[in-house]
Amino acid sequence: MVAKLSKITTVWIALVLVLLCVVFSVINPAAFPTAFNLKTLLVEAAVLLVLSVGMTFVIITAGIDLSVGSVLLFASMCSALAMNSMAGGDSTAAGADVAFVGLLVALVAGAAWGVLNGLLITVAKVPPLIVTLGSFGAALGAAQLAGDGTDVDTVPEGMREWLGFGNTLGIPNMVLVALIVTLLGGWLLTTTRFGRYTFAIGSNPEAARRVGISVTRHLIMVYTLVGLLAGLAGYMSLAQFGATTLSGHTTDNLNAIAGVVLGGTSLFGGVGSIAGTVIGVFIPAVLTRGFIITGVQAYWQPIAVGLVLVAAVWFDQSRRRARNNR
Amino acid sequence: MRRTRVAAVLVALLSAVLVLTACQGGAKGGDHTLSFIPGTKGEPFYISMQCGAQAKAAELGYTLDPQPPDKFDPSLQTPIVSAVTAAKPGAILIAPTSPVAMGAPLKEAKRAGIPIVEVDTALKDRSVAVSSVSSDNPKGGGLGADALAKLVGEKGPVLIIDTTAGTSTTNARARGFAEQLKKYPEMKNLGTQYNENEASKAATIVTATLAAHPDLAGIFATNLSSTEGAATGLRNAGKTGQVKLIGFDASPKQVADMKAGAIQALIAQDPAAIGASGVQQAVNALQGKPVERTLLPDMVTITADDQATLAKYAYKTKC
Amino acid sequence: MSVLLEARELVKHYGAVHALRGASFSVDAGEVVALIGDNGAGKSTLVRHLSGVEQPESGQILLNGEPITLGSPTDARVQGIETVYQDLAIAPELDPAANLFLGREIRRKGLLGALGMLDNGAMREKAKVEFDRLGVSLQSMSTPIGSLSGGQRQSIAVARAVAWASKVVFMDEPTAALGVVQRERVLDVIKRVRDTGIGVVLISHNMPEVLSVADRVEVLRLGRRVAEFRAADATIEDLVGAMTGALGDGEAA
Repeated sequence: MVAKLSKITTVWIALVLVLLCVVFSVINPAAFPTAFNLKTLLVEAAVLLVLSVGMTFVIITAGIDLSVGSVLLFASMCSALAMNSMAGGDSTAAGADVAFVGLLVALVAGAAWGVLNGLLITVAKVPPLIVTLGSFGAALGAAQLAGDGTDVDTVPEGMREWLGFGNTLGIPNMVLVALIVTLLGGWLLTTTRFGRYTFAIGSNPEAARRVGISVTRHLIMVYTLVGLLAGLAGYMSLAQFGATTLSGHTTDNLNAIAGVVLGGTSLFGGVGSIAGTVIGVFIPAVLTRGFIITGVQAYWQPIAVGLVLVAAVWFDQSRRRARNNR
Repeated sequence: MRRTRVAAVLVALLSAVLVLTACQGGAKGGDHTLSFIPGTKGEPFYISMQCGAQAKAAELGYTLDPQPPDKFDPSLQTPIVSAVTAAKPGAILIAPTSPVAMGAPLKEAKRAGIPIVEVDTALKDRSVAVSSVSSDNPKGGGLGADALAKLVGEKGPVLIIDTTAGTSTTNARARGFAEQLKKYPEMKNLGTQYNENEASKAATIVTATLAAHPDLAGIFATNLSSTEGAATGLRNAGKTGQVKLIGFDASPKQVADMKAGAIQALIAQDPAAIGASGVQQAVNALQGKPVERTLLPDMVTITADDQATLAKYAYKTKC
Repeated sequence: MSVLLEARELVKHYGAVHALRGASFSVDAGEVVALIGDNGAGKSTLVRHLSGVEQPESGQILLNGEPITLGSPTDARVQGIETVYQDLAIAPELDPAANLFLGREIRRKGLLGALGMLDNGAMREKAKVEFDRLGVSLQSMSTPIGSLSGGQRQSIAVARAVAWASKVVFMDEPTAALGVVQRERVLDVIKRVRDTGIGVVLISHNMPEVLSVADRVEVLRLGRRVAEFRAADATIEDLVGAMTGALGDGEAA
């Protein structure tokens, strides 16, 4: 079964993650292996994790989505504007009803870009790389246009307090949301027909078509799912930072793709797992934190992160080759 | 059949582009036009600068033609400079997005006989512009160090969050801060971290630093994204207010955060004054009057209780 | 035996190319018919029409004597007509059971099934029964079939078509890429399928193979049926002669 194959590769990449944690813990035992560090690590990785769960589905279909970061911004912009207009211009003091509408707007705005991406890829038959590169620019432009070029920085304080910084049973709500998305994503991918078709289309789209699977419909749904999750991520980012942060999220797409690929999902499609993606997202996150905590000089950090990423994938690839040649 | 359809789509796309460019309006020419090319679209800092410049230009009988690039990026600013040069305005006011990369297109403009005034940022090659108006960034950093020292009782470890290595203005603020910090022997500089202009990265820097240094006393953030991210990081860590945060600039978001207690003090530039003196220098150059090569308008420290300074120096999103 | 699936006078052009010029064809229940012809004779085109991938410009397709329209491969599958493609059309990253049930997954009962959850256990069990029935031996039911041998992949592709075919199976060059042992195994599977009462149509270039497995041989040349043989009575020379046109049109339809 597919799950079994990816489980084997997940184990090795998980070892890399564990090893990194051990090394940082040994270097700075007072700072790294702490509840505080774990909590903030999880909270800060939550947005990227939500994006990466969606990205996993797309990459398993042998597609790619470069637009996630911009769609995130677009969704958070629409959401913030909708909440502000509902609250008469400044939603800082608005209640849960306004925040809920904001969530819906973010989800719909994100999903709409996903539908557009999916239609262009399947119906107009433009390669995903080009379609999503186009919407990467277009969604950012649309967000800037909607906000007249400026960040919207009035967000319901209640939403920031609950989603951005609140806890449930000691677990930050940001982390809970990401956890639920991850579990649902894993369930969808491994146990349902939707997941099976995702693998089949990535493995051999022609075979899928010939057995009567509507490849067009399924791909549109997959791109819509990514868009929807980017919308959710946009809402989460809004709750965390209390502003639309238009200058940011430029490398979210590459970070998500890197996380997915690190997690053993093949860029050629047909192979992948959500568990792998979780680990793949946390490796760079742990590295970034670890280097700051252990006091590695700022200029060295990107070099070291880059080196470890390449080394981890090389390690994973050579393990896989060894297994395939057995 | 198929070919006509493709042609129809192309025509539609082309006309859409034409309509869009028509709406935007091309660069304007003429001796009484001053082209204003800020670093990026939509930042309150540049908007306030534009407001100051616009008011001054109107007062002197000139029109200001703002041409902002979509992002703070020399590859986006270069074509704007070329287009503006071709339109031959009276003068160009620009915030170069790179001290070196913007040199070539601006030299081209200078060769075309257009006087250039640098606002906010400046080229490395001092021979291109007739005048540079920018905040004294090292001095502003120093103001930050003094303000932070006062807030933390002159002791404890301090973190600097800068945008990217190579951004001359923010790097100068960080340097000025570090320099001035040496005057306080009991305050320890933990060094400078770069957030790559991503708020999320600044949050990570703050929480990771707190993990290693729970006694962190203060943070100096050199621009908007680093301040926003640092405030979120402190809130994640439950240390808002405990760790003193000093931000640079006074955009509405930062002012609101300061009022809400997430930020304790802001070092504000005076973008409207920068814009106004930039216009004055450009007009002086056009009219053959003496021009000041370098102008360094003052910066101020604002705290939440200082309502008067706040009202005067807070950046605007609209004129 | 009665005629199960029949094509009458099918015509098809691709631009200037006249691919089918009134091609006729028939297969009975429980027989293996080999469809042979030189390259470009129209074999694959004919099969594409009979499996619903393409539609003829004129002519009739009859199933059990009733005229039918095959608008899509799905139409054909609904009628019990399955195809094993030359390129197999399998998903190499999926396991044998997932491939066998691709597009026809068994869902769990109740709410979970309504949510789209698959019953992998049931699918694997049924797949095992199906593979055993056709004598396909697999060491593992959980390895992706991309890592299996060519013969095993071929057997799985055949098994998938057979498992769902209630009437006719088309096989386009099912042994072309196989070694001797694997070829024997696939031919064995074909005979077993025939014995279950399904009509099997085999496209092949391999004349000894055609004569060893087929009950009947139909020969296409230039988009038209030019000869029919009982395999037991025919020689390789007969077949080649009919294919190249060296022989006169035998029992042409």
